[in-house]
Order: sequence, then structure tokens, then C-alpha cells
Amino acid sequence: MKYFLVLSIVCAVMFAGCSPKVVQPTYQATPGQGQGAAVTTDTGEKDRRGDVTAEELARAERERLRMLDEKMRTSLSQQDIFFEFDSYAVQASELPKLQAVGNWLKQSKTTAIIVEGHCDERGTVEYNFALGQKRAESVKEHLVKMGVEGSRIKTVSYGKEVPIVPGHTEDAWAKNRRAHFKIDQKG
Amino acid sequence: MKKAKRMILILCALFAAGVFIAGTAEARVYLDIYGKSFKKITVAVPYFKSDKADRLQTDMSDLLNKDLDLSGFFIVAPQSLLDKEFLGEGVEKQEINFGSWRSVGIELLCKGKFQIKDGELIFEAFLYDTLDGSMMLAKRYRSRQEDWRRLVHRLADDILLTVTGDKGIMSSRIVFVGGRRGLKEIYMADIDGFNLKKITNYNNISVAPSVSPSGRYIAFTSYKEGRPNLYVKDMEGGREIVADRSDGMKVCSSWFNNSTLVYSHTAGKHSTIYTYNVATGERRTILQREGIVTSASFSPNGSKLLFVSDMYGSPQIFARDTASGDIKRLTYYGNYNSAPSFSPKGDLITFVSQIEGAFEISVMNADGSNQRVLTNGGALNDSPQFSPCGRYILYCSQIGGRYSLHIMLYNGENKRLLKFTDNNEEQPRFAP
Repeated sequence: MKYFLVLSIVCAVMFAGCSPKVVQPTYQATPGQGQGAAVTTDTGEKDRRGDVTAEELARAERERLRMLDEKMRTSLSQQDIFFEFDSYAVQASELPKLQAVGNWLKQSKTTAIIVEGHCDERGTVEYNFALGQKRAESVKEHLVKMGVEGSRIKTVSYGKEVPIVPGHTEDAWAKNRRAHFKIDQKG
Repeated sequence: MKKAKRMILILCALFAAGVFIAGTAEARVYLDIYGKSFKKITVAVPYFKSDKADRLQTDMSDLLNKDLDLSGFFIVAPQSLLDKEFLGEGVEKQEINFGSWRSVGIELLCKGKFQIKDGELIFEAFLYDTLDGSMMLAKRYRSRQEDWRRLVHRLADDILLTVTGDKGIMSSRIVFVGGRRGLKEIYMADIDGFNLKKITNYNNISVAPSVSPSGRYIAFTSYKEGRPNLYVKDMEGGREIVADRSDGMKVCSSWFNNSTLVYSHTAGKHSTIYTYNVATGERRTILQREGIVTSASFSPNGSKLLFVSDMYGSPQIFARDTASGDIKRLTYYGNYNSAPSFSPKGDLITFVSQIEGAFEISVMNADGSNQRVLTNGGALNDSPQFSPCGRYILYCSQIGGRYSLHIMLYNGENKRLLKFTDNNEEQPRFAP
């Protein structure tokens, strides 16, 4: 009896000591395999679910950012910031677009962009070249204030040389007074 | 608009008064071109004579008629007025019946004869005053036969010099920007549209040409390297000089002397006016301000720097005294006054002024007084520049969505279209 008791205690200690060592590597090494894992304790199952969820969350977050990045890259050319005639002040109505671009640039740390400044056909050629530059600079300044490094933003003025809409109406002019974003491929 | 209309009315009234006064004035004082107005002189150019029948007889007299008409100082008698009696007449003074010419209202008579020897054109021209038969001009010209157009332009300029005391512009060349959206090149051509050649050929956007006074250098801004850099083409040898390749917008607006250009540079918070000597590479900062500063030029004697700034919220023209550094605002009328350019004497400034939504070519005195509006088409006019003789203003006008070049007398009369290519043409500059 004494021997049995000692043996059982030794066994119990042995099993108690061994069981985590034996079982745990099984589902850690092959977390996807069901049968071996199914016999493990409740606490083990909870741990496993927590681990995978965190990972999936991280992956989902990465995916979301990747999608956002892709969406921003493909739609960047549609994020034009529009201006009033003869003005390079960014209007309040344009700020959401500017913020979206800024947030994206803060996430996508290696991306460099070019901000093009454009004018409508009215006014003098020379003044419009300067005005286009100031429009691009205004947009850059906002992005820098949001925390984007200035070194990642180049500015180029096109004056009135490259209108996006060909007409000579107020509607066409309004569409042509813009700051236009482009990915800087040279980085 | 009311103000503009009133100015036009005043101009018209002055013109009418001028005609009346000139009509009673002495006949031998030909044209007081610096007066408010003047009377046009009626001139006849019968077909030129030559020993053998030649197309040049009519081609050359037609071209001279065109040149004299474009000059704005003459009423050109139509060939239909000149009947057989006139056509058979010789070119020498004793052969001419001045009374007959006077009787059909001709005041000046230009006759010419030529011969062609081994491809050389030798031309003799005579200009007579029909009032007393006096010879005002007798001159022999020589050129290669194929350069007959240039020969006629020289004669036209000499006639202008004789009659008005100042040479004409018919021998001038024009530098301009031609092309379409996203594809613009700089061209040069004779003022009559001939001898067109490309100064740039980059298949890109090349704009804002500015010609040095001697004509040796042409500065321009080109996007050929992906951003607007400032270049200078040396027309002697064709070398290209990079004047500024730094970040930002660079545009040359004028030349200070034969080798020093004046340009504006906008980048970051500031705009800076620099001079750049293309011979030595020396760059000097002339003026720096926050916001926009552009279209800078010195007065002919260097005492004033003209520029456009948005320091009061919209483009206005300012003059800085070179000695004292004092800055004076010159334009107060309207919200948009830009692209100023001095007359060769420095007494007038031509510029663009927004009036009732349109952009019109205007002139004012060098101190900003006495602003006059010269165009009233309600169009988009730009890039005015005085001719080297100071009597004409060359400019660009957008009509019906198309940009074309025009020239007018500095009082706004005699507006004429200049055509060089089938594309848009803009930003014209005189070249010697």
C-alpha cells in the first residue's frame, strides 16, 4: 500500500510535470491540427483562440491599411484641392481631402509626392506661374503642419499651361484652379 | 466699365481734335508722332520698274504697301486708283507730274526701279512730296534676290524714318510661344510671318521667352527636365546656358543689359528677384518678399525697378527707387494689374488691367498717373511690350479660345493681327 501510494504520487508528479511539456508543444507546433488539440484543457483552448484573434486583427489592420494605401494611390489624382480666383489660400471645403492625403502620407512613410499648382486661363502668364507655385506651397504647408516631412513633398507650378478642362466658362475655370497630387516615382 | 468708356470717349475726342488741328497745320511737318494724335498721310506706291518684266515688280510694291499700312501712319492708295497715266510715268523727278498725283489726293509718292544681276537684286527707291515735288528719300539697296522681302522692309523702315523721324519695325523679328496645351515651343520669325524657325525643340512646355537688347540671348523657362528651369540660348553658336535649376518657379521677365537678365523665383514662403549675368554667371538678389513678386524690369536708365506684388492681396504694380529703396504703388484702379513693361524712353508703362472681368492692355505714365485703356474687346489680353522705337505695342489676345499676336500704335489705334503658325501664338517679344 505504501509502495502503491508512493508510486502513485511519483506518477502523479511525473504526469503533472510531464503533461504540459508533452502536450503543449503539440498544439504550439501544429496549431491547426484538431484531434490532438481537442483533448487539451479548457484553458489551453482559450489561449489559442486569443492568440489567433490578435494575429488576425493585426493582419486585418495591415490589410486595411494596404487597401487604404492602394485606394489612395489609385484615387490620388482625384484628390485635387480647388482654389478661388487669384487666391492661394486653402478653403475650408477642401480640408477633408487634404487631411485624407496627409493621414495617408503619415502611414505610408516611404511615399514621396509631387504637388502641382495650376491656374485658370485668366490673368497674366507670368503672374499665374508664381500663383501656381504658391498654391502648391500652401498645400505642402498644410501637409507639413499635419506632420508629414517636407522632404517628401515636391512642388511644381504649371501656371495656366495645363488646364484639366478646356472651356472658357466659370465652371471650367473653377476646375482648373487646383493643386494636383502625384506620386513622386523618383522618391 | 464706365471709366473705361469715358477714357475711350476722351481718346476719340482727342483724335477728332487732332485731325482738325493737323489739317490746318503746315504741310511740311509730316507727323508729330508723340502728340496725342496725328493725321495719316496718303501714300502711293506704283508698281516698281525693271528692265525685264518680273513678278517682283508687283510683289515688292504690294509688300511695301502692306508694310506702310501696318505702320499705322499711312493711308495706302489702292492700285485701282493708279490708272494708265500714272503707271507709264518714270521714276525720276523730272518725269513725274506731281499735279496729277495731288489731284487724286496723294501726298507722298514712292517710286522704285530694280535690276537683277547674277542673283543680286539692286533696287533704287525715291520718295517725293507731291506738294512741291521735293525728293525726301533716294536710296539704293542691294540684297540677294531671294531676300527681296527683307529689302522691302528696310525701305519701309527708311520711309518711316524720313517721314516720322524714327525707324519703323518692319525689319524686326518676333519671338513668341507657339503650340497647344502641354506642347509649346519658342519660335522666331520676321514680323511679316516669314523665315519662321524654332528656338526650342524639346517636345515639352517651353515658355516665357525674353530677348536680350542685342538679340544675342533668349532666356526662357522649360519643363524639359520635369520642372520649370530657367535657360538661356546663345544665338551666336547655339549654346544653351542653365541659369537656374533650383527648386521652385523661375521666370525671366526682362534684361537689364546685353548680358544680364532679370528673373523672378518663387519657392517656399518667398519670391525673389535676381539678376543673372550670363557671361560671368554672377547672380544677385535684387528684392525679396513674402508672397508673390514677379514681372520685374528696370527702367531704361536703371533708376526704377518695376514689379508686380500681391502684398495688398491682389496683383498690383509697384516701382522701387533704385537709389533710395522706396517702394511706390503705381496702380489703384481694379483688382488686377500686372505684366508691366517700360517704354524705351522710360516715360510710359504698358500693362494688363482687369476691367469688368476682361483683361485689357493699358498704358500709364511712369509715375502711375493718366491710365488709358487701349483694348476694349472684352477679351483676355496679355504680354504687352513696347517696340524698340516706342511707338508700337505688341501683345497677345485670346479671342474665341485662340491665342494670337497683335500689334497696335501706342495710343491704341491701328490694331493688326500678326500670324505665324496655325497654332496658338502667345507671349510675343521684339527681337532686333
